[in-house]
Amino acid sequence: MSGTLGQGSAGDRHQGRIDIARRAAHPSVMRDFHKRTGTEDELIRVVDALPGLVWTALPDGHVDFLNQRWCEYTGLSVDESYGQGWQTAIHCEDLPELLGRWRSILASGEPREMEARLRRFDGEYRWFLFRTNPLVDLSGQIVKWCGVNTDIEDRKRAKEAVNGVDRLFRSVVDGLPALVTLRTPAGDLEFANRHVLEYVGATIEELKQLPTTGTVHPDDLPNLLALWKGSVETGHPYDIEVRRRRADGVYRWFHMRGSPLRDTDGHIVIWYLLGTDVDDRNRAENLLAGEKRLLEMVAGGDSMSGILEALCQLVESTVTGCYCSVLLLGPDGTRLERGAAPSLPPNFIASIIGRPVKVDSGPCAMTAYLNEQVIATDLTAETRWAASDWCSMALAHGLQACWSTPISSTTGKVLGTFAIYFAQPRTPMPQHQILIDQFTHVASITIERAQTDAALKRSEAFLAEAQHLSSTGSFSWNTVTDKITWSEEVYHIYGLDPTVPITMERFGSRLHPDDVAHVSEHINRARGDGRDFEVDYRTQMDDHSVKYLHAVVHAGRDQDGQLEYFGAVQDVTERRLSEQALSKLRSDLAHIARVTSLGALTASIAHEVNQPLSGIITNASTCLRMLAADPPNIDGARETARRTIRDGNRASDVITRLRALFSKKDASTESVDLNEATREVIALSLSELQRNQVILRPELGDDLPPVTGDRVQLQQVILNLLLNASDAMGGVNDRPRQLIIKTERDEGDRVRLTVQDAGVGLEPQGVDKLFEAFYTTKSDGMGIGLSISRSIIESHHGRLWAAPNDGPGATFSFSIPRGSPSDMTGVHNLDPLQTPAVKDAQRIVRNP
Amino acid sequence: MVMRSLISVVDDDESVRESLPDLLREFGFSAEAFSSAEEFLASDCVGQTKCLILDISMPGMSGPDLQRELTVRRKRIPIVFITAHVDAAVRPRLLAQGAVECLFKPFSETALLNALNAALRVS
Repeated sequence: MSGTLGQGSAGDRHQGRIDIARRAAHPSVMRDFHKRTGTEDELIRVVDALPGLVWTALPDGHVDFLNQRWCEYTGLSVDESYGQGWQTAIHCEDLPELLGRWRSILASGEPREMEARLRRFDGEYRWFLFRTNPLVDLSGQIVKWCGVNTDIEDRKRAKEAVNGVDRLFRSVVDGLPALVTLRTPAGDLEFANRHVLEYVGATIEELKQLPTTGTVHPDDLPNLLALWKGSVETGHPYDIEVRRRRADGVYRWFHMRGSPLRDTDGHIVIWYLLGTDVDDRNRAENLLAGEKRLLEMVAGGDSMSGILEALCQLVESTVTGCYCSVLLLGPDGTRLERGAAPSLPPNFIASIIGRPVKVDSGPCAMTAYLNEQVIATDLTAETRWAASDWCSMALAHGLQACWSTPISSTTGKVLGTFAIYFAQPRTPMPQHQILIDQFTHVASITIERAQTDAALKRSEAFLAEAQHLSSTGSFSWNTVTDKITWSEEVYHIYGLDPTVPITMERFGSRLHPDDVAHVSEHINRARGDGRDFEVDYRTQMDDHSVKYLHAVVHAGRDQDGQLEYFGAVQDVTERRLSEQALSKLRSDLAHIARVTSLGALTASIAHEVNQPLSGIITNASTCLRMLAADPPNIDGARETARRTIRDGNRASDVITRLRALFSKKDASTESVDLNEATREVIALSLSELQRNQVILRPELGDDLPPVTGDRVQLQQVILNLLLNASDAMGGVNDRPRQLIIKTERDEGDRVRLTVQDAGVGLEPQGVDKLFEAFYTTKSDGMGIGLSISRSIIESHHGRLWAAPNDGPGATFSFSIPRGSPSDMTGVHNLDPLQTPAVKDAQRIVRNP
Repeated sequence: MVMRSLISVVDDDESVRESLPDLLREFGFSAEAFSSAEEFLASDCVGQTKCLILDISMPGMSGPDLQRELTVRRKRIPIVFITAHVDAAVRPRLLAQGAVECLFKPFSETALLNALNAALRVS
């Protein structure tokens, strides 16, 4: 409805109709029009009521009628809109095209539609659909154009929105990091997003030419086809992982899912296919699974070489075209040793191992030496190991790149090297570095674990051997749960089956009946006080043999804070038996020593006995003579008879003392007056001392407290010291053979006895040996006297020692604690065998 | 009254000193006892003693010492040694040195009498 057209087509011949139209377009005119003819009025009302802006135009496009709605919408009057006036309501951007269309419509004479924005009375533009229809007369001549403008603003908006969504959808689908395709129910490709085209490296047209499965890995094809066929038949969605070929020929894993879209009748309209690249995820999962498998092997105690081999294979399956090796650093750190290299030529590895760990020996040796990664991206250009001709050796085996990384312990010590080789020059990418870090770590765990295991096994073997050798087992006991754990040796000691777990009952059943109460007491006390303890007890075996056991038990707490004991139990049966045998031997020896003393005293004893005997015989003779006299001398006879009895008693006393001193009897404990015991010994040995021209000077202390001990044993010691002193002076003629025997109180509530001679003294080198058994300076002695004496004194908790005098001779002394009532009543062990000196003697007895 | 011969006994053992003089008197001798050689030498019996019964081992001066001392003093007293130490080697040595007899305790009445008779024959 261009102004040109409108102006050119306006003519007087249409004047009357235009008037009508003008009147009709205006409410007041319309009312006048209604008044004139009822039919027209009716028509006007209908036109005004139509839900559209209704207009008519002359065949030349000149608008000659507009309904009331037009005026109401545009706010223009009929007059303002008439002719070309209506154009002022058209959006200026739309007007040129609208006029062009309108012109072509007028020219064509066909009913057409146009769209343009129309200004509302308030200035807002809304889209309208302009529909025009020609009004033809009987001759077929167009007499008028009728038009209706319909508000399509809302529809237009909705459509635009729909178009926007469509575009957005398209861009989203294109942007999706996934392969999205649409296929017809028959399987033909309908659509592929940008990612598909880029991945495959083809246009959609090229892609449509490819066979359906052209980019799927041949190995995965049968499964995919079977699944696709099934889904097409049944309409069920499908879900599969297949490898698809990328533009560069590399296959990557994709997770393919297909779902059908159905119409309202349930027929499949199209298949949506979504492919997600899971290659990295799969790789990561495989690596993770592989790593997990390796760690399981480590935890399961698989052999180190087996684990390292699996590690190499895992890396080789992950990084295409690589070969791996693990070399171990030898114990002294100077050589590389074989670890694992499942895919490398054995000759190649053979020529690497044994090489000295130095910078110029090759990449692995260099890595181990420097404890840092060594990367050789191209061995043809490599010069670092020219000295050892390493590169040509590797190249001869077809290897052109080597990345070697140190395997370090948790403390940073080099354990070995992990190397990756390639047949072509290669530079490591970040993901390779991650992989290397990951697997050198696993290798480090493997090697350290293997080394720790080996050390542990060695240590366990040592422990088991030590336990076996020492007949010592270890155990633990939780006082709350009563759970007991025994080492194998404990089962061995008790003669129980190690496969049957030990319980308190089972343990109790093995106890010697006489020791049950005593062991139970220890156990019950241990439950309460949590103190360390030691216990000696016996166990009875199936064959009723008895074992002597000694347990040392330490209290502790487990992780829950429960009282728990740890201990060691030792089979001391052999020791006990040998102690008993030794005790017997010792007692025999002690007796021999006494008998030896007896030999030395023979003359003295004869003297002591002969003296009273002589008196007896003399007195008896006198007595007889006195009785035979006439008259008999009764008083004299009585006197002599009395003397006879006295001398008989005297002889009897001597015999009693001798029997006490030299009879073989077990040790006993009593309260002993050391002065009295000393006097008795002096009485017995006096004549012997006299015969040796020894001048004895007793200095027995007053108010000497009694000691607790074995009287005879102590007298044996005193006698031994006296005779030794006498012997020591046997060759002395230039000075008095003086012998002082002294008793006195000693510090610390002890009593001391000292025997001082003026004899030859002590040889400096002999002092230490004096108290050893069988050490003697005498040609006729056995050398057990002092050894036994010392063990006797030590069994009395005392001490026996020797010291040179300031002048000639030596002094032997012993000091023993005075007795206490508890010592008297308790089971006081005076067996000289339990003392260190005796142990020396035992040693010598064992190895004379 | 016949003058009885004096027999002196020197012994450190008291029972001998008690018993032996009584027996000697029963034999009909006169008897004196001394507990040591020194005591005997200091007494006034040395010159009158017809026979000396002498213990060999005594503290201080022994029997043989006294024998030598008497020889030195030119007192020729027959000596019968007595001893409680049984040592067969002692007897010949003492006899060689001039002793009349050497008796080992305990000795019999007869042995003592024989020894005394021999001693008195000598004197």
